[in-house]
Order: sequence, then structure tokens, then C-alpha cells
Amino acid sequence: MPAWVPPVARYMAVGLETTLLISVATAAAATLLGVILGSLMTLRLRLITVPIRAYVEVWRGLPIIVTLFFIFFMLPAVGINLPAFYAALIGLTLWTSANCAEITRGAVKSIPHGQHMAALALGLSWAQSMRWVVLPQAYRRMLPPLVSLLTNLVQSTALVYIIGILELTRSANVQRERLAILGDSHSLEIYGAVMVVYFLICLPLTRASAHLERRLVV
Amino acid sequence: MRFFLYALDPGYVLKALPDLWAGLRWTLAVSAIGIAGSLVLGLAGGAVRAARIPIFGGAVGLYVEFFRNTPLLIQVFFLYFALPELHVTLSAFTVAWLALVLWGGAYNVENFRAGFQAVNPGYQEAARALGLSAWATFAAVILPIGLRTAVPSLTNTCISVLKNSSYMIAISFPELTATAINIVSTSFRVFEMFAAIAVIYLGLVWVLSALMAVVERRLALPEGA
Repeated sequence: MPAWVPPVARYMAVGLETTLLISVATAAAATLLGVILGSLMTLRLRLITVPIRAYVEVWRGLPIIVTLFFIFFMLPAVGINLPAFYAALIGLTLWTSANCAEITRGAVKSIPHGQHMAALALGLSWAQSMRWVVLPQAYRRMLPPLVSLLTNLVQSTALVYIIGILELTRSANVQRERLAILGDSHSLEIYGAVMVVYFLICLPLTRASAHLERRLVV
Repeated sequence: MRFFLYALDPGYVLKALPDLWAGLRWTLAVSAIGIAGSLVLGLAGGAVRAARIPIFGGAVGLYVEFFRNTPLLIQVFFLYFALPELHVTLSAFTVAWLALVLWGGAYNVENFRAGFQAVNPGYQEAARALGLSAWATFAAVILPIGLRTAVPSLTNTCISVLKNSSYMIAISFPELTATAINIVSTSFRVFEMFAAIAVIYLGLVWVLSALMAVVERRLALPEGA
């Protein structure tokens, strides 16, 4: 192994940890938020559905980079001083939760309304009916698009490099620039390796999503 | 107008408008090439995949898996920073549209393939029984029907290509997002600039989806086809 590889690999391993941390934290927060918002969207109450619809359309419609920059510049501008890491989490969560809400809404709508009515007739509250009757049935339908959304999320975490988070992509850029000063940037090897790492994370998720979808059809 | 510590200056947007327009033109140019190219690439690749042509079908499959399972940002970096090591140096503009064509193309291959494979196999058999060549069957039967099925997912990919033109800020290509961020980092007019580009991006996305909805309605198959 050439001498330049071990320090680069150690440095990028730390970046990979941050990528995984951001992915998992965002996935958890956004799924929770998205399922709640998506369930609320099925209510027939304009006061609730209109603001949620606006939230979904805006954060789904904007490029993630724009959202990330907005949160990053906006927080200090209104006097909130948080590390950029949190701006990254907030920005990614807005986009992921908006998409998750849309997935949830579609899945909940696909469950016959009689299920919900029966639950209410048995004395369950709206929230209890969602939690114990409707969502457990909608869950099967939500899973394939949700897994594919998470694949998309893992890939999108690369974007947070742009607000200064030292994750896998930024660690690759840092090392490329450092090696360039020493003579050879080894861009080919470094970006090739980064691609392989993302590929190894994303391929199983893509395959799982396709598998779940096929199982749903049968 | 003030909220928290921030004083809003809506008039600033007007001053920045010429710069934003210059950025928007690059965004539109790159997105238009990206969308057109990815549709052509997707159509060709999707046909090859659906027809299960040996070797070529497998090669297209590898291309799709690779581009769909790696981040577009790394693909951009690879084209811009790594290719020169192979003595292929591309300008930021070339990388911008090429990356979008390759990335969008991979998704469109799958969109077209799914559309073509959803065509009732009986139609294909009937066309071949009537003496149409494989090529004529594709052009006259599978393409017209499969294309219609594929329109909604093609729409999604085209919108993604448009939004992802913002990735090109990473190679300092002066499209809309890069232009706005430059203005923000010298003027600190955060809310004004983001309101402006949010309106532009959301407007573009809605216009594009409205256009595709018209296409979809025009092409809609009669019931039962």
C-alpha cells in the first residue's frame, strides 16, 4: 500500500462516522415528524391541512442546498447561535420529513376509511385509531418508498459539506487539497473510494426497497 | 420591518435582480440540456433494458446501479477534479450539464424500462404475429403505450434534474444558487435573497409539473387500453 493511503483513510473514516451519524439522526427525527404530519394531513380540517400542505410543498420543492444554506445563514441572522452541525440536521430533516409526510398521507389514504370509523365506534380517539389501527396497516405500503427515501437521504448528506461539516465528502476534499500541495492530489483514487463507500451503503437499501415493493404486489 | 434582530429590506431584491437573472439563465440552460439529454439517454437505455439485449442490457444495468447508488455531488467532483488526472479536462459548464445528463439518465432508464415492461405482452405478440419487425413493434406499439405509463415518473426525475442544477455551486458554476449565496455572503441580506430564490425555484418546479401534467392529460390512454 502506498505511504499516502493510511493517513488519508484514517481521516476519511472519521468523516464516514459523521456521515452515518447525520444519516441516522435525520432519519429518526424526520420519520417521526413526517409520520405525524402525514397522518394529520388526512384530517378533514383545513386549519391543520393547509399549513402542513404548505410545509410539504415548500421543503419538498426547494433544492436541499438552498434549504441548508437558508438555515445556516438564517439562524445567526435572527440571533440563534448553534453549531453548523445542527443547521445541517435541521435542513436535512425539513426535506426528509416533507417527503415522509407525503408518503404517509398516501399510505393512510389507501386504508379503507371504514377501519378508522370502526376504531372510533369502539371508543378509540383519533390518535389511538391512527396508532393502533390505521398506521400498522399503512406501514406495509409506506416501507418501500420510505427505504428509497432513506437511500436518497444518505446521498444527500454529502451536501452538508457545503456549510462546513466535516463528513465523508468534505474529508475527501480536504485530503485531495492537502495531497495536491504535496504534488499529486490522487483525486481519482480518493473520489473512487468515496463512491465505493456510498455505493456499499446505498445498494443494499435500494435492493431492500425493490424487494419490499415486489412483496407488496404479490 | 424587524423580527428578532433582523431588519427586512425588501427593496434589496430589486437591486440584486440583474445578478439573479444572470444566474437563472445558467440554471435554465444547464437544466434544459440536462433534462433533454437525460430523456434521450433514458429512452435508449430503457429500450435496451426492456428488450433484454444481451451484454448491452447488462452494461446499461451496471450504469444505472452505479449512478443511482452514489451521490450526484461525488459524481460532479469526480468529473471536475478526478478526470483531469486522466488528461480529460472539462469546463465547469460541461461538467454541470454532463453530470445532470448522466445522473438523470440513470433514473430515466428505470422510468422508461418500467413503462415499457408494463405494456401488455399480448400487444407485442400480436404485432409480431402481424409481421412487424422487432424495431417496428417497438416504435409503433411499445413506445407509444409505454411512454404514457412512464410520464409521471419521468416528470419527477425532470424536476429533480432542475433542482439538482443547484449542486453546481460546488464547482463554483455561477448558477442561481451560487449567485444568491455570493450576494448573501457579501450583503448578509439572508431573508430577502432566500425569499427571492425560493420563489424562483418553487415557481420553476410548479411550472414544470404543470407542463408535464398537460402532457400527461394529452397523452392519456382511453379507458381500458
